[in-house]
Amino acid sequence: MKGKGWQFLACALLLLPWVRILPAQTVPYQRPVETAPQPDSIGGGYRIPVVQKPLPRAYWLQILDVALLAAAMGVSIWLVLARRSRKWLVGLSIASLAYFGFYREGCICPIGSIQNVTVALIDPKYSIPIVVTATFILPLVAALFFGRAFCGGVCALGAIQELVVIRPVQVPRRLDRALGLLKYVYLGLAIAYAVKPALIRNFLICRFDPFVGIFRRTGPPHMLIIGGLFLAAGMFVGRPYCRWLCPYGGLLAWCTRLARRGVTITPGPELDCGLCIDACPYGAIEKMRAVGRNCLYCARCYDSCPKHRQLVRIS
Amino acid sequence: MSADVSRRDLLNTAARGTVLAVLGGGAGFLVTKANGQIVWQVDAARCINSRVGETGVPACNLCTTECVVALSAVRAVNDHARCGRCNMCPAYFKITSPVDSHGYPSEKLCPRDAILRRPIGRMDPEDPANNFYEYLIDEAKCDGCGKCVMQCKDPLGLGSITLRVRYDICKNCNRCAISTACPRNAVLELPRDQAI
Repeated sequence: MKGKGWQFLACALLLLPWVRILPAQTVPYQRPVETAPQPDSIGGGYRIPVVQKPLPRAYWLQILDVALLAAAMGVSIWLVLARRSRKWLVGLSIASLAYFGFYREGCICPIGSIQNVTVALIDPKYSIPIVVTATFILPLVAALFFGRAFCGGVCALGAIQELVVIRPVQVPRRLDRALGLLKYVYLGLAIAYAVKPALIRNFLICRFDPFVGIFRRTGPPHMLIIGGLFLAAGMFVGRPYCRWLCPYGGLLAWCTRLARRGVTITPGPELDCGLCIDACPYGAIEKMRAVGRNCLYCARCYDSCPKHRQLVRIS
Repeated sequence: MSADVSRRDLLNTAARGTVLAVLGGGAGFLVTKANGQIVWQVDAARCINSRVGETGVPACNLCTTECVVALSAVRAVNDHARCGRCNMCPAYFKITSPVDSHGYPSEKLCPRDAILRRPIGRMDPEDPANNFYEYLIDEAKCDGCGKCVMQCKDPLGLGSITLRVRYDICKNCNRCAISTACPRNAVLELPRDQAI
């Protein structure tokens, strides 16, 4: 009998919270007004607050971004071709990474603009602002005259990789070349997906941008993981994304073939010591001469050259 | 040798000129058809949460989960000109929760406690239920989950709260991840000058 009493008590204790909640009443809700009350009926000098409407980035600021892009390329060309200064180029890379990367969050992007330009050229209903066209054109024009100045010290994706190269290994030339073809495959895929009808259009370059998640300090896990892997690999293999995957790098390489000036290794058999070849992490020096289309404007070759100071005289 | 070099230079210059002309032509074409910027915006008439007639369904929170920004660029916005300023706001209180000792529902609806409530206008010292209340949404807390939007719409409320893209937060992605996921195609591209 006594045991049963305890059981009853235990049951009662367990049920107690339910007993309190179950009969609890909710508010009999009915909408009290049919129209919004106006200041005169509210009284007390009440004024209706203005609903904030934050605007997109001001247009002149977007123009400023493009102007900075052009200026940074000018500085890059001057630093590499005239000053031949690796130190200052690293400084420019840090500045570009800070501004175009972490401040503008990777979205003044000639690489991604390939897709917008392609769609705008093909789809009559799609158009792009002039600043996007300029973002796309400027690095290509620079490449036609001076080589891939955009890649060195301006591109945020390049800069973040440039700064993590600590112990680069030389990739076998054949492998390097074969992997380099991937960027044209990627370019083709990006264009093929971008020119689809509007509803199923896809912007591959943006979706699989490895570093935009890092620039924004947030993003889908796959993006952050891919970015981390690229940076980890980039410590030992110089700028893997730029050399093998960047579709814009493919366009720049084509333009660079026609470049009038670029990074050159001064010819002269007595000077061909080969130190610059070892210093180039990007395989851009072949047979003692710089190959413009692969040169990423990092100025390591000049930095490694013992005769560098004597050779700087550029006409 | 020198003739060879100059010939290569000439060819090079010609090729460069051609590429420049092509680039310039393309750019010129794009500039002639260029318009202003395009921005993304939620069409309240399509969004499940604000569409009148769709009641009794759970609030859609895809704007919260799909946006590439950590705290979604879509936030709930209260259009004060349309707000009923009700004493018992169904978007502020969880009206199905048990009533507390003051006669109000004991729980708030917003999971992030992002709605602020304060009495405004002429005060009735006797009966607080007779006052008007202003509902401000703390945008730094709101993640655009849409619960309040769903409750605010007709017939429970006047539909003053809607989900809107905040352009200062929106990255203006080429292909908005929310628009891709939205089952009602409610996230649309608008020219910048028509931005809501």
